[in-house]
Amino acid sequence: MPRTAHMGIAALVLAVLVAIPVLGSVYVVYIANLLMMYAVLAIGLDILLGRAGQFAFAHTAFFGIGIYTTALINNFTGLPFVLTIPAGAALAGLVGVAIALPATRLRHLYLGLATFAFAEVAQWVFNNWEVVTGGANGLRFRPSNTGFMEITNDIEAYPFVVIITLLMIWIARNLNRSKLGRSFEAIKESESVALASGISVNRTKAIAFTISAVFAGVAGGIFTLFQSFVHPDLLGFDTLVLVLSMIVIGGLGTLPGILLGVLILGLLPEVMRDLEVFQELIYGIILIAFLMFMPRGIWGWISQRAERRRAVESQVHD
Amino acid sequence: MTDAHFFEIENINVRFGGLHAVQDFSMTAEKGRIHALIGPNGAGKSTTLNCISRFYVPSQGQIRLEGQSLLKMPAWTIPGLGVGRTFQNIELCMQMSVLENVLVGMSPVIKNYLPFFPGRRRGVIEAEAVRDAEAILDSLGLLADRALPAESLDYGRQKLLDLARALAVKPRLLLLDEPAAGLRNQEIAALNTLLKELAHERGISIILIEHVMPLVMGVADRITVLNFGQKIAEGTPEEIRRDEGVIEAYLGKGSHAAG
Repeated sequence: MPRTAHMGIAALVLAVLVAIPVLGSVYVVYIANLLMMYAVLAIGLDILLGRAGQFAFAHTAFFGIGIYTTALINNFTGLPFVLTIPAGAALAGLVGVAIALPATRLRHLYLGLATFAFAEVAQWVFNNWEVVTGGANGLRFRPSNTGFMEITNDIEAYPFVVIITLLMIWIARNLNRSKLGRSFEAIKESESVALASGISVNRTKAIAFTISAVFAGVAGGIFTLFQSFVHPDLLGFDTLVLVLSMIVIGGLGTLPGILLGVLILGLLPEVMRDLEVFQELIYGIILIAFLMFMPRGIWGWISQRAERRRAVESQVHD
Repeated sequence: MTDAHFFEIENINVRFGGLHAVQDFSMTAEKGRIHALIGPNGAGKSTTLNCISRFYVPSQGQIRLEGQSLLKMPAWTIPGLGVGRTFQNIELCMQMSVLENVLVGMSPVIKNYLPFFPGRRRGVIEAEAVRDAEAILDSLGLLADRALPAESLDYGRQKLLDLARALAVKPRLLLLDEPAAGLRNQEIAALNTLLKELAHERGISIILIEHVMPLVMGVADRITVLNFGQKIAEGTPEEIRRDEGVIEAYLGKGSHAAG
């Protein structure tokens, strides 16, 4: 894409981001906050699944660790969110490292099963460790704090959610284009190439796992900015399937694709209010359809067409 | 064997279950020389190469580069010592671009930097890496394809890219597993020139596994012949051409006249 097109898209995104709180209702702002939280969650899962090719499904566990850590610090201290959210992300990252070291010795289906089991165990802990998490009653927590004021509603939270989300997107973009980002792709594509290129496969997997967990922890922190109550039901299979669907539909391993997937699947429940009981079924069908007919997702399909057009044009010019 | 060799393999043994794939095999390689490893299929040539790059670990024996034991190092650190390799069945990151494939290969020589933020240091390191990668691609005639995904290249160009990746680690020792297989005559002639240049002008020590005999006889300074996991002959191309045991292994008993 030419540079002017990039600038145009950036200007459009900026305009929409400004328009939402100015023109939208409180509910619209809430949806925007929610989508941005999902964006950070999805980008984190995609780093591990789409970029590094590791079939790991413990993402909701790290999301939960981020939420509960940030929420509990809010309840016991008045620390500003610039400290509490990094604390939640750091704890998610630490648990991520601890899980990654044994988990990266497993592959494919086995890694999937082991990480899925960990996510189930984590949800069980959220459900049963009542003194800390409030158990199945859920946990009500104090609003986050900017250091000057408490963030008590969606509109107050919105600018901070925007800043954190843009920061995480920017970090992911830098990561994708770095030496480490290339190592992620190399271990996905060929472990033989990685080994012959001096890339430690296990270490790279563990790093991808950890970074992915930190993103999930930050998403948990974003949750505490505009919510005041968390229930363990949020941290189960449904959320995992939703986030998985977002990255598969958008296009595994492509940042613009992920954002597109978040937008589409995030808004789907809004336009299909009447079909809410069928929501899980619809997600399932969409997911299977995409895996069968558009495995590279919407963005993969778009860029493939663009590439083909460019190839045809260059032939014509030749 | 009193003088120190640049690279030496000493009595390695590899067993796969009941199969004794490599038996008490020893060889040496020198800087700026091309050492060919030939023999029938299943003789243990690729197995030996895989031991050097530590994809396999021999049950016995020693492998040393400038006196340093490679068997004591973790496998992923071997390329960082200056050991590059290609694969018999091309191994590439097929979805990545040609340039990115070389950049992946350069991993051990690119300095680390914080991947989350842009910065001066990062900019300088990456720009230098891209320049080096493009120089390698240029030397192999692949520069025009730099932005194409590796999967879109034809077979001969994929072979070259595999070699480009091996060169990206700035090798002192280059392990080539059948680089000429499936190439056209014209491409083999170019490979001949290239290998000589890499060895004689850049001082790289090359271990070459190859079935294309005109290439082997044209470039090799020394040839080692393997059969059923054992060394059956070693010498200059001229000596190997006349060796009775080698003719027998390749063509079968009673074929002397034909050989």
